[in-house]
Amino acid sequence: MNDYITIALPKGKLFDRSASLLAKVGWEAEGVSEDSRKLVIANEEKKIRFIITKPVDLPTYVEYGAADIGIIGKDVLREEQKDVYELLDLGFGKCRLMMAVPEAKLRPEMEDYAHLRVATKYPRCAKEFFDAQGIQMDIVKLNGSIELGPLIGLAECIVDIVETGTTIRENKLVEVARIFPSTARLIANPVSFKLKFDRLHGLVEDLQRVLQEEKEGKEVPQK
Amino acid sequence: MSDKILKVPYGTRDILPGEGAVRRGLEDRIGRLFNAWGYDEVDTPTFEYVDTFSNAGNPDLTAFKFLDRNGHSLMLRTDMTAPIARMVATRFRRDTGVKRLSYRSRLFRYEEAQAGRLCEFTQCGIEMMGAAGAEADAEVIALAVQTLLEVGLQDFSISLGQMEFINGLIEAAALNESQARDIKQCLIKRNVVGLGETVAAAGIPKQLADIFRELLFLHGGVELLDDMQGRVLSRRCWNALENLRKIYDLCREYGVEQYLSFDLGLTRSLDYYTGMLFEGYAAGMGYSLIGGGRYDTMMQQFGSPCPATGFALGIERILLTLQRQETVQLTVPPALFIAYAPGRTADAIRLAMQLRRQGQRVKVATFAMDEAEVQNQARINKCDTFRYVKE
Repeated sequence: MNDYITIALPKGKLFDRSASLLAKVGWEAEGVSEDSRKLVIANEEKKIRFIITKPVDLPTYVEYGAADIGIIGKDVLREEQKDVYELLDLGFGKCRLMMAVPEAKLRPEMEDYAHLRVATKYPRCAKEFFDAQGIQMDIVKLNGSIELGPLIGLAECIVDIVETGTTIRENKLVEVARIFPSTARLIANPVSFKLKFDRLHGLVEDLQRVLQEEKEGKEVPQK
Repeated sequence: MSDKILKVPYGTRDILPGEGAVRRGLEDRIGRLFNAWGYDEVDTPTFEYVDTFSNAGNPDLTAFKFLDRNGHSLMLRTDMTAPIARMVATRFRRDTGVKRLSYRSRLFRYEEAQAGRLCEFTQCGIEMMGAAGAEADAEVIALAVQTLLEVGLQDFSISLGQMEFINGLIEAAALNESQARDIKQCLIKRNVVGLGETVAAAGIPKQLADIFRELLFLHGGVELLDDMQGRVLSRRCWNALENLRKIYDLCREYGVEQYLSFDLGLTRSLDYYTGMLFEGYAAGMGYSLIGGGRYDTMMQQFGSPCPATGFALGIERILLTLQRQETVQLTVPPALFIAYAPGRTADAIRLAMQLRRQGQRVKVATFAMDEAEVQNQARINKCDTFRYVKE
């Protein structure tokens, strides 16, 4: 199987754009869809295999070399801290990690939030952010529905990913700090990147070209 | 009964019979090879003062630390290069020859356990101290290749880089300390995206900025050196590439050049490399198996300046790769079972001793038995053949 390239794609909101972007540069296989029941989907002719994983597991697959490359959000990458190549910013899946508090609990300064409980899916990033500000916080790790935390008294504030901020507003939360912006990234296993360099380098160049063309294509109609 | 009685701590494991034999065999083969190349085996204490390691520039965040009875900070060794540097600086102070030393040692790092790298692991390696030239680096690389061949690895390759090339680029770009650190951090983290952002923010001239952006993609054969020498204007970078060329040419004399390629963006997480550095990879294994390079400034930290180069390989990773490549199986070696009738114990022992002297692996029964039982007893004692000593 060593002459194959295994690509890990994340379930969820990055899936469609990831699969269609790869298809544009000829990296596709029949039956690649998010609800595929097959665990491994191969394109024998092009010697490509796709696997579809939960986003938080994706960097682990790539770090261990179970997948040669993958597409994943910078938010997950920063949280998971795996030893992988970050090859390309794919530009889509734009969102940001931010801190939000209930409207009623809004305070004048960042330091005023010290010693509160923070609900988050991103404990490492949250801790780094608060440490850098010199603020001590209790971090409560949750795996979903983070906005629920402050509503029911589990936490006083949240650190979470938002795209537009609609969910935050609907839950009467106010963004008080932006932590970092995130987009989808192409990542590679360090050994695969060396042993399969020509194909992977070719892929990076092809993707760069397509992204550049898309960018230029989009800008034209706006003028 | 405490729940800790039957558990082992995080990041540790037992080595069971089949694996024990295979590991010992691997380490012995490597040891014989190092010996044939003139490297003398040494060992150092399993724990030393924390200062010895921090002096060598090792981040001791991963160390298991403890105090002795006088309150001095000690740590379990996290690598062998710093202790050997300390040893050479103290015990070989007046030795003006080139020191060729080898080791096989257990090391300890408190970090997230991975496949083939737990918190306790084994490294075999060599250090060559007192030689500055490409000749020394070529010998080290050639021996690294020979070691991988010796253990039976197939389908592996070695990437060669040069810290002086990277330092030369940083110097030419006139980066300040924090920018240089950011760039090195991106190289270590293999973060192409971050590297591009850092380079853009630092306002580096275009020709140089392009090289920085491409740095993690600068892979190739010896022709890559020609290309880059045509592009790079800095003397320091040019010399670094020339050094790699010289090493490569010497590696051809050793007949190992087919395993080598260049990766000019290669850095290794340890900060002490000053010249050529390399890593080895095998298909089917997501981590590097072997790594090393030149570290000319470390000995100075121990008050005894001297150029140095070397490498280390991880036995557990090698073993895992060999298993994946299906070149080894973790089985115990065959043995002969000697059983005996009542009253014949002395004869059985005599026979066993005689066969052992001839090199056979023999297990003697621990009690007398009837002939009918022998086959079954041989089987449960994990022997594939047996003999029965009767009247």
